[in-house]
Amino acid sequence: MKRISDWWFAPAPAKRLAAVRILVGAFGLVWVGGRLMESYAVAQLGGAHFKPTGVVRLLDVPLPPSVTLAIGIVTCVLLAAFTLGAAYRITAPLAAVGLLWALTYRNSFGMIFHTENLLVMHVLALACAPAADAWSIDRVRRGAAAPAPEAGYGWILKLLAAITAATYMMAGIAKLRIAGVAWLDGEQLRNQIAVDNLRKALLGDSIAPLATPFLDHPAGFTVFSIMTIVLELGAPLALLHPRAAKSWALMAWGFHVGVVFLMNIWFPYPLLGLAYLPLLRCERPFDWVIGWRQRRRAGNVPPPTPG
Amino acid sequence: MFAAVVSIALLGATLEPLIREPWEDGFPLSPYPMFAFKRPTKLSMEYAFGLTASGERKALTPRIVGSSEVLQALTVLQRARSRGELPQLCATIAGRVAEIEHYDDVTEIRVVNGTHDAVDFLMRDIRGPEIQLTSCTVPR
Repeated sequence: MKRISDWWFAPAPAKRLAAVRILVGAFGLVWVGGRLMESYAVAQLGGAHFKPTGVVRLLDVPLPPSVTLAIGIVTCVLLAAFTLGAAYRITAPLAAVGLLWALTYRNSFGMIFHTENLLVMHVLALACAPAADAWSIDRVRRGAAAPAPEAGYGWILKLLAAITAATYMMAGIAKLRIAGVAWLDGEQLRNQIAVDNLRKALLGDSIAPLATPFLDHPAGFTVFSIMTIVLELGAPLALLHPRAAKSWALMAWGFHVGVVFLMNIWFPYPLLGLAYLPLLRCERPFDWVIGWRQRRRAGNVPPPTPG
Repeated sequence: MFAAVVSIALLGATLEPLIREPWEDGFPLSPYPMFAFKRPTKLSMEYAFGLTASGERKALTPRIVGSSEVLQALTVLQRARSRGELPQLCATIAGRVAEIEHYDDVTEIRVVNGTHDAVDFLMRDIRGPEIQLTSCTVPR
């Protein structure tokens, strides 16, 4: 038990957690903000299409679309505060609740998407953590660095990484629970890809660029199926060692690129690498930019005159 | 203590769908059943398209049907069919088409149910049978 505890609570820099907060928060802000009008249009579909899921089951009938729009706008403001680390202890939980509501509501009109689940879970986890102890408005206001919390910053990064790994693992388990090992022969994957692209073609969307070339080679789908299951069930291994984390993150990212080319389904959160941030030293680009700016400023200072 | 409780609660919540049936989906807690189901390549579904005066087909984007998401647009069509509201939906689609320059030459909207084999359709351009469910004129 102590070994598990030591591993879970192993220290990590506050800056790494801050980098995750900034990038995940900014993505959430752009995601919700950029889809405000689309969400408003979906909210106008009305009661006939309303099929509440998750927390939205609290409602029997849909909210007026204007209320949905207002919630979306308030969530954007809160996510901006979350990203900047402003009054974080108050704004972060509210932003998490706002995001949970806004996206669950969007998924309550007859179709559950799977592109936003991880974002919501990550923001919920970050909202429970001292993620604004570095690179934040709160930090600037305080002046001095806050004393590090007793539990440190490492546990929340472990938790975020574990949530990422769990979602992939569960996708693998679902395939085996529903289809059994027959899923590995590739036929089901091929059929899924064919049917998905047919639906797109009939409904006026673009079909994936590599779908038709690969449909002609069914054997390739056996390889894809096995690789998919190995990647999904092997996700927890990413938690064991930084090298395993990097390798797995790269493979998982490649998997999503493959999904784009074969199905034209975009999972922006992993495609932008955000799903894997807790597994990586993601504070480094920020450090590099800050260091570069400092060096640049220092370079602008006239050098002392000799003699 | 707080960190341990949060860790157990959120990780437990993420894993909770494992104790549900795998097809009982939800948000944000999901068993991620997509791509897990056995599927034949034959698909029967509702869709809409535009027709020009010369009889040429023009695909309509899912947004025109009611959502930029393909599957949600399909749900809109299916619900309208099951509720006997396809003529109204057709009129709504026609109204949207009338406002888009790209569809200037579209004179008619048809909503059909088509049954196609996905591989034949995509690889060999072979279409299956289509049953017309409703049609309407684009207001100009």
